[in-house]
Amino acid sequence: MDTSVKIGSLTLKNPITVASGTAGYGEELSRFVDISKIGAVFTKGLSMKPRRGNPGNRIIETPSGVLNSIGLENVGLDEFIEKKLPFLVKSGAVTIPNVAAHSVEENIELCSILSKTPGIDAIELNVSCPNVKQGGMAFGTDMCVFTELVEQAREVTSCPLIIKLSPNVTDIASFALRAEEIGADAVSAINTLLGMKIDIKSRRPHFANKVAGLSGPAVRPVAVRIVYQIYQKVKIPIVGMGGISNIEDVLEFIMAGASAVSIGTASMVEPAVSGKLAGQLEDYMKKEGISSLDEIRGAAHRV
Amino acid sequence: MAQLLSMPQLVAKDHYMMTIKMDCPSIRPGQFVNIRTNEGTDPLLRRPFSIYDADGSIIRVVIRVIGRGTEILCRMEPGEINMLAPLGNGFTVENAGEVLLVGGGVGNAPLLYLAKELKKAGNRVTYIYCSRGKNYIFGEDEFRSAVDEFLITTDDGSAGLRGFATEVAAHVISDIKFSRIYTCGPDPMMEKTVKLANPGAKVEVSVENYFGCGVGICVGCTVDTTDGYVRACVDGPVLDGRKIIWKNMPD
Repeated sequence: MDTSVKIGSLTLKNPITVASGTAGYGEELSRFVDISKIGAVFTKGLSMKPRRGNPGNRIIETPSGVLNSIGLENVGLDEFIEKKLPFLVKSGAVTIPNVAAHSVEENIELCSILSKTPGIDAIELNVSCPNVKQGGMAFGTDMCVFTELVEQAREVTSCPLIIKLSPNVTDIASFALRAEEIGADAVSAINTLLGMKIDIKSRRPHFANKVAGLSGPAVRPVAVRIVYQIYQKVKIPIVGMGGISNIEDVLEFIMAGASAVSIGTASMVEPAVSGKLAGQLEDYMKKEGISSLDEIRGAAHRV
Repeated sequence: MAQLLSMPQLVAKDHYMMTIKMDCPSIRPGQFVNIRTNEGTDPLLRRPFSIYDADGSIIRVVIRVIGRGTEILCRMEPGEINMLAPLGNGFTVENAGEVLLVGGGVGNAPLLYLAKELKKAGNRVTYIYCSRGKNYIFGEDEFRSAVDEFLITTDDGSAGLRGFATEVAAHVISDIKFSRIYTCGPDPMMEKTVKLANPGAKVEVSVENYFGCGVGICVGCTVDTTDGYVRACVDGPVLDGRKIIWKNMPD
């Protein structure tokens, strides 16, 4: 049985990964999951300098979902390399940092340094964070800005490059196609959907940044639709995510066309879930007599 | 695997006690449990509760009913429950001589087990139990028998002294005999307790803010301190009270 997945020159041992933003730097999750047994760990969105993130309220539960406004709090590149990466390497995790800087220049610098850093297996370029005022989603919703950033990132990135797309556009597949044309090795989708919470007692937005990112089972049908649409347009692998909580959800994304999947919000509820899903996927393949995931990938398109 | 041993018991207005059997490693006072309310997706997130008491493999937690999640929990049938525990760092327990504990509302919950452990460690324990009113007081007898001095204050005067502890018992809180003060409750109460504490006293506070994951991965529960942001769930919930920047506490 072959559960492996290729992303450019990188091979993941299985398609179950943990998504940036709900995987910390691997160490927190490693209390609950053997992070060497899952496909990859996408670490928290990184900037050159440490970033404090947003003040005030940062998270609130919604019906079957979560709104967050963390604002890319992170330790910065130096501390990531010195203090966080060694643990990931020692644990045997496939490590994919998420690059999420304010400016094109800073993103390029991060890609350039990280792709030459031993222990980094691929880079996920985040053009889709809805929770920062500068950069973030602005990179992923304007085709000109997107093109310029991805072109430059590709130029300086020698390791596999994954572009994390924003669902907050009319036609996400056209962004995926552009990424493929430029030479990205994969796309990941979806980042959170733009949402909002208003506190009716204070009559004000709940979050200081007013808007926030929605994730969790509530967004899953939207994410499945988006992965399905991207698959119709591109040949590069898709890392699908959005509300995946159980093995049925994993299979739905693979059948929509995802090569790998990421577990995000579900890790907040069941920190051990990604490890369990890797095992359950093998059980499913055995039961169904499937030897390679290629047999079911994109199955929903063959009608 | 954790087992809820009986239906949650009503112990005060809006407050229920859960008695749970679990495979426990040693539990430190101030640590918490994180319980799923259902195996579906709504409510989605776990609900965190501080550990009220621990005795071998049996723990107790106090739930204040504030919404749908806690309403579901307080009606749970005995049997298996989905709980992560113990989580968080816990209070410092050592022989410091004279210590003071100040609890407010459901924030009294983590202080019973702490009081017991502090007594065991040889401390003389004074306790100020703050509550909105008589009907909201839980565990009074247990607290009384666990400590050396016990004082109740209620907002409405229906039990003990009338008013906020940080006003009517300010002289107790600021007494220079205390080398350590531990507090858990509403932010304004904890902030004032820190301000009233004699400068020589170490003050540990247990913060209660909105948790996403409870295990340090989502960075949703940050507290601003003079050392920068820390995560209440894994760097706390017990923090050095003098380092907290209270005006930046989330709602």
